[in-house]
Amino acid sequence: MSMVYVNMFLAFIMSLMGLLMYRSHLMSSLLCLEGMMLSLFIMMTVTILNNHFTLASMTPIILLVFAACEAALGLSLLVMVSNTYGTDYVQNLNLLQC
Amino acid sequence: MNLFASFMLTSMFMLLLPIIMSNTQLYKNNLYPHYVKTTISYAFAISMIPAMMFVSSGQETIVSNWHWLSIQTLKLSLSFKLDYFSIIFIPVALFVTWSIMEFSMWYMHTDPHINRFFKYLLMFLITMMILVTANNLFQLFIGWEGVGIMSFLLIGWWYGRADANTAALQAILYNRIGDVGFITAMAWFLANMNAWDFQQIFITQHKNLNIPLLGLLLAATGKSAQFGLHPWLPSAMEGPTPVSALLHSSTMVVAGVFLLIRFHPLMEQNKTMQTLTLCLGAITTLFTAICALTQNDIKKIVAFSTSSQLGLMIVTIGINQPYLAFLHICTHAFFKAMLFMCSGSIIHSLNDEQDIRKMGGLYKPMPFTTSSLIIGSLALTGMPFLTGFYSKDLIIETANTSYTNAWALSVTLIATSLTAAYSTRIMFFALLGQPRFNSLSPINENNPHLINSIKRLLVGSIFAGYLISHNIPPTTIPQMTMPHYLKLTALAMTITGFILALELNLAAKNLKFKYPSNLFKFSNLLGYFPTVMHRLPSTMSLTMSQKSASMLLDMIWLESVLPKSISHFQMKMSTIVSNQKGLVKLYFLSFMITLTLSLLLLSFHE
Repeated sequence: MSMVYVNMFLAFIMSLMGLLMYRSHLMSSLLCLEGMMLSLFIMMTVTILNNHFTLASMTPIILLVFAACEAALGLSLLVMVSNTYGTDYVQNLNLLQC
Repeated sequence: MNLFASFMLTSMFMLLLPIIMSNTQLYKNNLYPHYVKTTISYAFAISMIPAMMFVSSGQETIVSNWHWLSIQTLKLSLSFKLDYFSIIFIPVALFVTWSIMEFSMWYMHTDPHINRFFKYLLMFLITMMILVTANNLFQLFIGWEGVGIMSFLLIGWWYGRADANTAALQAILYNRIGDVGFITAMAWFLANMNAWDFQQIFITQHKNLNIPLLGLLLAATGKSAQFGLHPWLPSAMEGPTPVSALLHSSTMVVAGVFLLIRFHPLMEQNKTMQTLTLCLGAITTLFTAICALTQNDIKKIVAFSTSSQLGLMIVTIGINQPYLAFLHICTHAFFKAMLFMCSGSIIHSLNDEQDIRKMGGLYKPMPFTTSSLIIGSLALTGMPFLTGFYSKDLIIETANTSYTNAWALSVTLIATSLTAAYSTRIMFFALLGQPRFNSLSPINENNPHLINSIKRLLVGSIFAGYLISHNIPPTTIPQMTMPHYLKLTALAMTITGFILALELNLAAKNLKFKYPSNLFKFSNLLGYFPTVMHRLPSTMSLTMSQKSASMLLDMIWLESVLPKSISHFQMKMSTIVSNQKGLVKLYFLSFMITLTLSLLLLSFHE
């Protein structure tokens, strides 16, 4: 496949690694989630434009909508944890005292 | 072509003059009450001329002066109906008002706003005249509302007193409920007969007149304090005694009865309405007579007596005798106004003491008031050949000999004996025995205003019944023959009431009862009617509206049903179901290792 797709796929893999392996802050995994969404969006848009797949032109917009929702959900969970503990350290999540 | 209409309209117009003069210097000096009183006495004299013309020749007039407006097909004009009822009522009302004005010159002498008081009384009289001479329902409604408003202003005369304000508001509210009935009747007449004129209403044939007649009955219930809308009348005793004498004994409260009398051609045909009227009047007269038996305020006893006599008038309409009811209105005005004036004289002399338990032994210091109080009470109970006899005895005889509801009849007879009982109670407590009041109040009857006014009504209480009933044109024929026990019924009930009350009062004079019995409490608290009806419906409706608006809509539907229930449910379920330990990094790591391993293995698989 062409270099563009490989590039974007690599960006996606990097963000996924970042999501799954983080040190202490919950916020960093949320940021990597956003990165995943960004790379998916770009990949989808470029594919549709290159292949002139006009009927699927609305899917990136829909993807953006759902990305916004899940970002909001993730942030609200972060805020809930932060309300109880003051910080968003991951080690706080082991007592199930949200 | 005689001067009938001119004299009548002159007499009405003269009443307007003091009101017009109230912008001038005349209103500001202290001769204004005298001016008002003389105006009313001249108006009475002039209105006697058309009355005598009517007596001798039976002439009736309808004066239609001024076409006000036409609303599509309804023509409203200023029109006066001077027929049997108006012509006889106007001199009677003016005579009684003349005496009351003279009385209030003595009673309200120390009041700084006495000029305003007289102006209000005069405005009340004018609106009552408008009501009585109205030939269409619109003009009658103007008079109706006018007397209601003046009643409000006069009951709340001492407006610094919270009870007086409450009583005035109560009068307005109860009258308003009656006005709903009046407006229903007006709307029905407008929609179905296209007229508000009496002549057109009485001529058009109509099958079912229940709705407007029910509306008019409701209006009479409100204005004349029948059972269900009655508590405002005893509360209205918060106003000064002249107000009670004029409004709430002779003139305003008979407006409801007058309305039903005006519509007697319609009520003659409708048996249902007559039965309803009869039962309503019967229950009113009995209930208020029971309540009057244990009251301690002299004005309240007389107020309940008025209410009971109004019930009797409504009973008379219910047995299809409107002319007898009208006769009772005219005769009742004399002795009831005099009773109020005598109680005013007693109250003023005892330094504003209104409780009969603190009066007593007044027959020596106040002989004139005593004799007029006794004569007034005797006239009220229907002693033969005093005023009340000519109307009340006729009513009882006619009720006894007509084909009517036996319960209503027996209840009316019981109320007749109770009338005698509470009259005896007033006389016994206020006049007889040893004095129970402070000895420092100066008791005198020296003022000629007081003496002359009561004297005039005294002469009226004795002779007016005879004079009126022998001079009026013949109307419905009274029942001439009946068995002797029926003829003597009213007299026997009255004498029974007198004797019983006298014996009970004498026997229990020095006894004290520790715990009031249930019957006493029922009678003293007015049958618990104001206690229940003034508190329960308002509390219930306010609580219900608060519960439905605030609790139901806001708290339940908008807050609890979706948001709070979802969060509560989720939290509970998560704490119950999950047994995780929250080792998030380990979970993510295992996910990544699985992903990598599967990618590696599957990519090198052939």
